[in-house]
Amino acid sequence: MKIIASYSIKGGVGKTATSVNLAYAAAKAGNETLLIDLDPQGASSFYFRIGHSKKEKSGYFFGKKNRLLKHIKGSNYKNLDILPANLSFRNFDIMLSNMSKSKRRLKEMLALLRDEYDLIILDCPPSINLLAENVFYAADMILVPVIPTTLSELTFEQLLTFFDKNGYKKKKIRPFFSMAQSKNKLHHETIRDLDKRYSVFMKSIIGFSAEIERMGLHREPVLAYSTKKGAAQSYRTLFNEIVKTLSSKKF
Amino acid sequence: MKSSQLSESRYLLPENITKKDFLDNFGQSFTVKAAKASNEKFTIVDSFEWGIYQAGMLAIRHQDNSIRLYKENSLLDSDASLDIGKINARSRFWWDFPDSPAREILKKILDLRALYPVFNGLLKIENYNLEDQDGKILVMCQLVSIASPEKPRTPLMRQVKLVPVTGYKLENQQAIDLLAQLGAFKPSLKPLDSLLGALGVSPQPYTVKPKLRLSPDAPARSSISIIIAIMIEKQRLTEQGVIKDIDTEFLHHFRVATRMIRAAIVQLKEVFPAPDVTMLKDRFGAIGRETNRLRDLDVFILDKHRYMGLLPASLRDGLLPMFDDFEQARSQEVKRIAQWLSSKAYRLEIEELQALFQQGYSAIETEWSEKPTIELAVNKIQHRYRKIQKAAAKITHDTPDDDIHSIRIDCKKLRYLLYFFDGLFNKKQVKVAGNHLKALQDRLGIFNDLSVQGEFLENYLNEEEHKAGKDILLIASLGGLISSLNTMHIQERENCIRELAIFSNEENRQLFKDTFVIQS
Repeated sequence: MKIIASYSIKGGVGKTATSVNLAYAAAKAGNETLLIDLDPQGASSFYFRIGHSKKEKSGYFFGKKNRLLKHIKGSNYKNLDILPANLSFRNFDIMLSNMSKSKRRLKEMLALLRDEYDLIILDCPPSINLLAENVFYAADMILVPVIPTTLSELTFEQLLTFFDKNGYKKKKIRPFFSMAQSKNKLHHETIRDLDKRYSVFMKSIIGFSAEIERMGLHREPVLAYSTKKGAAQSYRTLFNEIVKTLSSKKF
Repeated sequence: MKSSQLSESRYLLPENITKKDFLDNFGQSFTVKAAKASNEKFTIVDSFEWGIYQAGMLAIRHQDNSIRLYKENSLLDSDASLDIGKINARSRFWWDFPDSPAREILKKILDLRALYPVFNGLLKIENYNLEDQDGKILVMCQLVSIASPEKPRTPLMRQVKLVPVTGYKLENQQAIDLLAQLGAFKPSLKPLDSLLGALGVSPQPYTVKPKLRLSPDAPARSSISIIIAIMIEKQRLTEQGVIKDIDTEFLHHFRVATRMIRAAIVQLKEVFPAPDVTMLKDRFGAIGRETNRLRDLDVFILDKHRYMGLLPASLRDGLLPMFDDFEQARSQEVKRIAQWLSSKAYRLEIEELQALFQQGYSAIETEWSEKPTIELAVNKIQHRYRKIQKAAAKITHDTPDDDIHSIRIDCKKLRYLLYFFDGLFNKKQVKVAGNHLKALQDRLGIFNDLSVQGEFLENYLNEEEHKAGKDILLIASLGGLISSLNTMHIQERENCIRELAIFSNEENRQLFKDTFVIQS
């Protein structure tokens, strides 16, 4: 079982779109996949037409396996399940700080699902806190969408610094360019510049696209409603690159 | 999730419920969305022995000429089926199919048998998603309807399958409750039987070996009449398969049945008046003889690849003209036999013979005709075993082949006696004795086949040698093949001698003595 986190300190960079489409691509490729919506806003859940849980509970999250399984929902697609978010997820940090081994809880919880899934995708909220540290510890790969602008560049560097300071494995971090605009000169320059400075950037680039924006109307992954268009293609390419990276020995 | 906690459930829909009723009913609690649907002609195929059915599976030839194998618990679920892929419309043997896991399964089940159609119909599969207002699927529902091509509008069966979605247990139960309101019911039989039953298909697995329940005290002649009547019936069940040349097993079983009938007449001759024995023997003998040549050709052609394998690669192709000859001779012979079996003459003859035994053979009383069946059985089995055992004890390395062959014939006779009478004795012991006999017969059978095949090829070689414009490569290949077979023949002799020693040892002697007795 592999765990991939879609993470960024910054909001609005395409984390959820990435999680949703990668989860769909993985399931379509035959992997038993679970998307965990860690963001209390529940955008991932929304895209899969699963509403907020009425009960505001989150105790099950770090509890026993059976209790956890009861909260998992099948999506409208084969091989793809969702663990939906609810608003109480905003209290994760307080919950975790009261626990022993507070940075390893998520990893332990995910290990319980080893027999059920081939791949788990974590859609993370934009913050750098105890939950994020749990993600850094648990994930095999941390995918970081980076909009090719100066501000995004800065937050990406902050992340690297944080990893250095706290001893997390930096090689887990795999940034990729997200919402890149082909006609934007600054975007071009930033991409060229960052690619030169950091060799870890994925080759696949997810361009800015109205198709992706429309996911909110369709409430489906782009890959489900416009299979042949550019946006769908680029997520498929990204997924293939991830598979290749995860299986390479260097990673 | 790999371990789904909820399982699918299947229901049959009552005839009076229309599709509108069915959909409206779900509409009370769900938004019903039509998903993938298909409508096609299909054919259920199986072997004459219903081998696929007996293995708990269903094979369907779909309209696109693919064959799919379905397991009992996922009938008609194409995602869970094993696909043989698209094949030629005439492909019917496992060796006609492309390499696949399904072919491996069929290889074991079918062996030499062909797949042939047992039911033609129309298959309609409609999928519906039961959703909430947001379009989230809560339960998946599949409606399978099967109709006969003659009456496409009145389905012979409609099955509803509910597939739960993880995390929506309550909704699944809600759908089950709604179905119950319509009067849908769970099938009482296992899925395969319930499906075939609804289609009016009743599998009747065929074996040439009779399952007899003779009464030990019944008069011997009436028991033998029952045996012969059953065997004639078994012979007749294969007729259509021989005529249509579906596979070679039909003729093989036709011959086995005929041979068993003759064995019953000749071996148990004391229950019939002597002139009747001669008459019956001749008449059944004539039927058997008609099929000799075709069976010889079948055996050779089936063994083609084995023969080729016995030769060095350079000589293999040399044999091809011979097999072409055999194939040609075979198609002529098949035609001739089909004509013969369809002829009025054959029909009248077999029906007359059948009538003789159906109500018990009537003729004057003989010494054995009224004695208890068990006495006849014990007497005959013991006599035959002693004969084999004595002959076996005399076998040495110098014994002529013919003596070994005559032991083989006695073994065959003993085998038939066991087929006829095994139900009269202790089941476990009979099985052990039967297994010993089988081990011996297998060895003797190989030994015999090698000599018959050697002779057949030598005759063929003689003919070829004297032809003008002879094919040198063929003659060389034949020479190589005959000498290979001869070497194997010599080796096999040793195996036979060893097996004969086991069969006639003290332990086996005691086993036969104890097993085949008149029980008090």
